[in-house]
Amino acid sequence: MKRTNIVGAVAFAAVVTMAGCNANPKDAAGPGGSTTAVHKGGTLTILTAASDVNFDPAKSQTLATTSLGLVLRRLTTWDIEPGKPAKVVPDLATDTGRASDGGKTWTFTLKDGLKYADGTAITAADVKYGVERSFAPELSGGLSYHKSLLVGGADYKGPYAGGDLSSIDTPDPRTIVFHLKTSYGDWPWIASMPAFTPVPKAKDDPKTYAQHPVASGPYQVASYQQGVAVKLTRNPNWDAHSDPVRTGGPDQVVFQLGQDTTVQAQRLIADFGADKSAFGAGFVPPAQLVQVQQNAAAKQRLVTSDAGALAYLAINTQRGPLKDLKVRQAIEYAVDKRAFQVASGGAIGGDLATTLITPGIAGRAEYNLYPADPTGDVAKAKQLLSEAGQPSLNLTLLSQNDQQSLAQAQAVQQGLQRAGITVTIKPVDETAWTAAATGDQGDYDLTVSSWQPDFPSANGNIQPLFASNQIGGGGYNLSRYSQPEVDTLIDQATAETDPAKAQALWAQADKRILQDAPVVPLIYTKNSFLHGSNVQNFFVASFPAYPNYLKVSLKQR
Amino acid sequence: MSTDSTLAPSVATAGNVVRHRWRRLAADRWALAGAAVVVVFLVVACAAPLICALEGQDPYTYHLGALADSGVPTGFGGGISADHWFGVEPTTGRDLFAVVVYGTRTSIVVGVVATAVSVLIGVVVGSSAGFFGGWYDRLVSRVIDVLLGFPWLVFVIALGAIAPAGFPKPVLLVGVLALLFGWPSIARVTRGQAMALKRRTFVVASTALGAGPWHVLLRQVLPNLSATIIVYATMLVPGMIGAEAALSFLGVGVPPPTPAWGRSIGDAVSWVQTDPMFLGFPGAALFLATLSFNLLGDGLRDVLDPKSKGLSR
Repeated sequence: MKRTNIVGAVAFAAVVTMAGCNANPKDAAGPGGSTTAVHKGGTLTILTAASDVNFDPAKSQTLATTSLGLVLRRLTTWDIEPGKPAKVVPDLATDTGRASDGGKTWTFTLKDGLKYADGTAITAADVKYGVERSFAPELSGGLSYHKSLLVGGADYKGPYAGGDLSSIDTPDPRTIVFHLKTSYGDWPWIASMPAFTPVPKAKDDPKTYAQHPVASGPYQVASYQQGVAVKLTRNPNWDAHSDPVRTGGPDQVVFQLGQDTTVQAQRLIADFGADKSAFGAGFVPPAQLVQVQQNAAAKQRLVTSDAGALAYLAINTQRGPLKDLKVRQAIEYAVDKRAFQVASGGAIGGDLATTLITPGIAGRAEYNLYPADPTGDVAKAKQLLSEAGQPSLNLTLLSQNDQQSLAQAQAVQQGLQRAGITVTIKPVDETAWTAAATGDQGDYDLTVSSWQPDFPSANGNIQPLFASNQIGGGGYNLSRYSQPEVDTLIDQATAETDPAKAQALWAQADKRILQDAPVVPLIYTKNSFLHGSNVQNFFVASFPAYPNYLKVSLKQR
Repeated sequence: MSTDSTLAPSVATAGNVVRHRWRRLAADRWALAGAAVVVVFLVVACAAPLICALEGQDPYTYHLGALADSGVPTGFGGGISADHWFGVEPTTGRDLFAVVVYGTRTSIVVGVVATAVSVLIGVVVGSSAGFFGGWYDRLVSRVIDVLLGFPWLVFVIALGAIAPAGFPKPVLLVGVLALLFGWPSIARVTRGQAMALKRRTFVVASTALGAGPWHVLLRQVLPNLSATIIVYATMLVPGMIGAEAALSFLGVGVPPPTPAWGRSIGDAVSWVQTDPMFLGFPGAALFLATLSFNLLGDGLRDVLDPKSKGLSR
């Protein structure tokens, strides 16, 4: 599951390690949005605000097409091309998995002759071990969709304490079989997640693997200086013919760490020296977006995604007056979405949102349960509050303390203030925010977050944010929303193998959830990225709203 | 200052001294200008709502109509107009004049109160340590040494993260600035002065005539420290204002949307190329406030310290 930080990914990109997300250039023909023949060679620099790039697949929440994908291959991966919908394609496996037993058993066969960077063979047992170690408590924090799906996953504590997981079979070195609790049609997408990376047991040290992974992709980690730089060089044992999606253009890839998003944008606008061969992993902040609009040369190198993640205001449904549906509905009307949009960079920062399922996801139904002007309907909000007997309220809004988040928090605050709801902002740093928002205590009334589905299915929009088993314990049900009816709908939709029926169920769940008003959908965010003039094949497709690192190359010089 | 030949200055002499000092201060145009600006800032801090009412704005209301879609203010100089005298903030459209005026209140209140608390603690601890000496003095001196070498900025940032949301931030700021940053330097100076004064003949004579230690400390030593204290306090205010602005700049000052110059400056940095006036107004206010307090402090030192001849300006 991935939480993205709207236009200001600042601190966030760090932890999620330059998450990647969606790419569909606004004008596919425009520079930066198009693709050309890949030229091999050169050193590509990736500027990131993170102080660390976490290469441990068990702890990673990255998308298949960003940083980790350069070094590590999975069973399946994503084929992301400009102007085309995202596809799941085989990576280490020969196909995207063969279902049997009505979708409860999935079998994958590895390609022949695959090797790690050190020359040893990649085996099915290594993939099994990679999945198993993602269950270990010391390696928590990674994407965890598979954990609740595999038989016995709920009680398994990882290979360091709990032996092996019997629901994964490896009948021979090239075959791996997964046994699921329920039928699950999206399993090929799950198999593209970081945990499905092969990890050789002999080389595994959970303390250092994040910095020294055993490479299976086109690059290997050559040097790692925390907070400074990570240098990737070519993996001599990577076979381009076995890999349909990675082009392996540059000879070297260097992550420059700790580059604030404003600094990234300024360096890329200047486009000087080595920065010509660089791109920024973080979103261009609103102030620099304005600057880029006034600079014709830089504007050519700006790539903006389609509306991707949903930015929303989570209302803690388990706190005092917020337990009252009328109060939450009043908040739906009182919020000033227009001010939030401007704080996020205006129309280039995102489109106004009314639904939970984001645009571009199959089966999305457009609706608006709380119709109002983009700036809100204060009179209606006041009326609802007085009906609820709460004419004035005092609420705490937990916010990250970077500039972008605070600007957005203040936009929400002033909107609610108009209806007599006094909001106190509590600014905390990104780590503290995650701990407080996803912890068991839930000591906040409101918080602003944004969510990019981890795979292009409505499941990724709904289940992580609204299933009652995602409250606390690291889960992202930030509204602490528990509704048995919705849980049932989620279970039904997850188990449904007919895509059309599943999509209808998800659309139904979408509307049912918003009837309870646990969140206010604010905007569908658009992410803008800048790259240097020497960078080619840099594009953002319709899903995910992040550039595809695997295809970026440099011009011949 | 008393001299060694008098036990205490007579009323008539004290009046003369005050008049003489006023004349010296009045002759220092820089100090006078500083004093005038300080008075203006104090008035603005006290009457912030009234001044904003003159303009007809407040620092919290969004004016999205004054912005282009991208969030940048429309019009000359960041949206300067008859309605918005300093223009508006980018992305929010809040009135920048009101933000700066209310920011004055935050800065001056935190600066002055933190200084007052620092002076109180510093004088009590410093003069008593200098006067009584012994193990108490040694203990206090070591504590001062530790605090003067303390990385208080790092400490404040950490403290801001763990303080509960309900705890009022201005109180926390004043407390931390005064307890960690302000009082040790004052205490060190007053301690030195108190040690010197204690050996002066009028103090010795007072003791010989049977005065107790508390009488001597309060009636003989403290009045002679007053000039030093006034000068130090005036010079400490701009330091406190600067420290508060630094903390706000780093995002650990008063929580938004309460206006603060440091936070406005921090927000404005990324807009400097597209909306320079957003940096200009709060920056100028901070600059003027610190400069005027420093000029006033300088002038007061020249006047109150008989040994200093004063700079020829």
